[in-house]
Amino acid sequence: MTTATLPVRVARPKGWWGAVVFVATEATLFGTLIGTYIYLRLHNAHWPPPHVPKPPLLTPTLLTVALVLTSIPLHVASRAAGDGRRESAWRATTASFVVQLVYIVWQLHDYVHTIDVYDPRQSAWSSIFVTLLGADHLHVLVGVLLSAWFVLRISSRLTRYRIVGLQSTVFYWHAVNVITLVVLVVQASTHL
Amino acid sequence: MAVVDRIEQLEELWLERPGVLGWLTTVDHKRIGILYFWTTILFFAAGGVEALLMRTQLAQADERVVSPETYDQLMTMHGVTMIFFFIIPMTTGAFGNYLVPLLIGARDMAFPRLNALSFWIFLGSGVFMYSSFLIGQVPNAGWFDYVPLALRQYNGGLNIDFYALGLIFNGVASTIGALNLIVTIFKLRAPGMSWNRMPLFCFALLAASLSLVFALPALTADCIFLELQRKLGFHFFDVAHGGDPLLWQHLFWIFGHPEVYIIVLPAFGIATSIIPTFARRRMVAFPLVAMAELLVAFIGFGVWAHHMFATGISTATLVFFAAASMMVVIPSTIQIYAWLMTVNLGTPDFRAPLMFIGGFIVFFVIGGLSGIMFAAVPFDQATTDTYFVVAHFHFIIFGAAVFPLLGGIYYWFPKVTGRMYDERLARWSFWLTFVGTSLTFFPMHIVGLLGMTRRVYTYRSGLGWDAYNLIETIGGFVLAAGLLLIASNIARSLRVGAPAGRDPFHGGTLEWTVPSPPPHYNFAVIPTVTSAYPNWDERDREEDLRRLERGDLVLDEAHETPATTVNDAQLSEILEMPPESPWPIVLALAVTIASFFLLTSHYATATFFLALAVLTLAGWHVQEPVEA
Repeated sequence: MTTATLPVRVARPKGWWGAVVFVATEATLFGTLIGTYIYLRLHNAHWPPPHVPKPPLLTPTLLTVALVLTSIPLHVASRAAGDGRRESAWRATTASFVVQLVYIVWQLHDYVHTIDVYDPRQSAWSSIFVTLLGADHLHVLVGVLLSAWFVLRISSRLTRYRIVGLQSTVFYWHAVNVITLVVLVVQASTHL
Repeated sequence: MAVVDRIEQLEELWLERPGVLGWLTTVDHKRIGILYFWTTILFFAAGGVEALLMRTQLAQADERVVSPETYDQLMTMHGVTMIFFFIIPMTTGAFGNYLVPLLIGARDMAFPRLNALSFWIFLGSGVFMYSSFLIGQVPNAGWFDYVPLALRQYNGGLNIDFYALGLIFNGVASTIGALNLIVTIFKLRAPGMSWNRMPLFCFALLAASLSLVFALPALTADCIFLELQRKLGFHFFDVAHGGDPLLWQHLFWIFGHPEVYIIVLPAFGIATSIIPTFARRRMVAFPLVAMAELLVAFIGFGVWAHHMFATGISTATLVFFAAASMMVVIPSTIQIYAWLMTVNLGTPDFRAPLMFIGGFIVFFVIGGLSGIMFAAVPFDQATTDTYFVVAHFHFIIFGAAVFPLLGGIYYWFPKVTGRMYDERLARWSFWLTFVGTSLTFFPMHIVGLLGMTRRVYTYRSGLGWDAYNLIETIGGFVLAAGLLLIASNIARSLRVGAPAGRDPFHGGTLEWTVPSPPPHYNFAVIPTVTSAYPNWDERDREEDLRRLERGDLVLDEAHETPATTVNDAQLSEILEMPPESPWPIVLALAVTIASFFLLTSHYATATFFLALAVLTLAGWHVQEPVEA
């Protein structure tokens, strides 16, 4: 039998499944971090400790909304790549990449400030807060690098390897966007 | 095209570079499995020497063989080595890697280069951990590494940093390996191998891999917290700043208890491979056993606090976890009865592999019974931190986890090497290890009940413990002699063993359909499967030969293996597999160097090497599989 007689694809590729398992471990990691946040919260009468300002919400919320919205062009890119429409896949990926890049640069800039205000050497609250936020930014950063890679790689040519890679990356991004949203909710919970 | 030409074509397509360079850049699951095997054997030897030193120290009261400090280090490294550098990599890395593709009819793992990366990072983390001996700052707070003992105020050297960083990177390797096994089992099963026809060994590996994926993040987070607190002054575990020392224990055991099942599940899988072959019949209650394997892994996530019954957690919590712990009995017993009934209803041929499985069942029942006792909270609180606990878990993780491995080594030795082992010596080695294990670990129950606490470097005479301790030490050396006999049997049979042929035991699974040792491409023609024991389906195998002649699913045009649908295993696409690659080892090297710089708090340099590791991924992914 030759490959030509086979249907093109009737099931999810292995790369997509790999991304699913990878996302499962990362989601569990965030589950552990947020579980720790809640556990420590239950062991502290003041959360955050007295005299510590509550974390800002406006900028992170606006940035997160922008980041989460990139799921739409990313979905378009994934579909387009699957159909072999390279140019629209590239355009959608690049558009998402620009927003993601703005997000991470802005957030990392603010993160330096966060570490200053909420010095993790002060309390368990600031320790887990800074760690949770840092872990989220790290996952966004990995996603930004992946996006940059595919902006480069599909600018010239689509191969099966690149299509599966792009689709797996898009799946990773959807997951990271959800995680970022959840982290934002944790951040907002201090204002309740 | 003639069959000979097709096979020659496959040889050429799947052949890797010769020599050492070939081993360093290999992506062949069999070679990676062999690398894993010999590396973990070395770690097993190291862990064994550590155990013997401890037993020598404990042979008599008030011995002075090692200092208390050294004893702490030996105890810690024995646990860390056996769990993270022997059993997990031996079961998932060596057995899983070598056997899973052969058992499901694939030509390699789903992600061959990732597979290599997993091995090299594992090796790096082992070298990292053991380099602590060079500067005499060996991890020393037990394999469970409880805080506050592990905090900087009480443990100022690099000891604990070796532990935490080593386990973070070791966890990365295990996660990658588990991910690879899961996707391989999901996507690369031969056409026709629907879930109900998949070998139980693969179910066991799947259950262990899923557990790894969901359990390891808790340990990784715990170790990251510990390092952040030790090195950068964060607060997670100290009460003064709002932290909580029990947080360490919760996270550790959220990983640590599933870990126990991660350790024994592959052993169950080996038992369910060996028993049908030597009992000459299919496993009894096949679907129940498959579900029990998955259920053990699942329940394993709900029982962690039974390691913490004596820490003062609330009664409601105690009762919940006691009940959950009792539940593990159900899937475990389903399997024990299935194994026994299969032997009972078959016509068993008690050769060495089956003897080891017999020993395994005995030890698993003993260790399981003492395990149920711990689910009773008052009993647990009375025996916490005594040798009774040590006795219990060694019956499980030596008796129940390692015995099937030893049986599995004999069972698959002819397949991997093409030569037979010496049956007479193998039986001797069984009796030596069986007697040795019983002598070493059974008296520990008694001294435990007599009040001997664990983790002590010595004890006073006249407490009624002396004779038991001496027996344990003698047992330890008998066990070591048995293991050495196995090693010498292997070493000798590698050179002078009789040729094994394709299928010396008339096994039921697909690995016995290929020559021994298996060719680089595993299967000349991708088999189609209609039952859980395809090697016993003679007509299917004859059909394979006809398909080989026709060239149907031979895939001799490119470096390919088929992928199938997840549930029904219908052929869905042909995958181009990547060629051998230098990038996994380069990446692992960069990560290992980075871990040393993290250890010494050179964060900028560490970041540089981690960035280098990320850069190597570019080289990795530019090299795309050739499309046919």
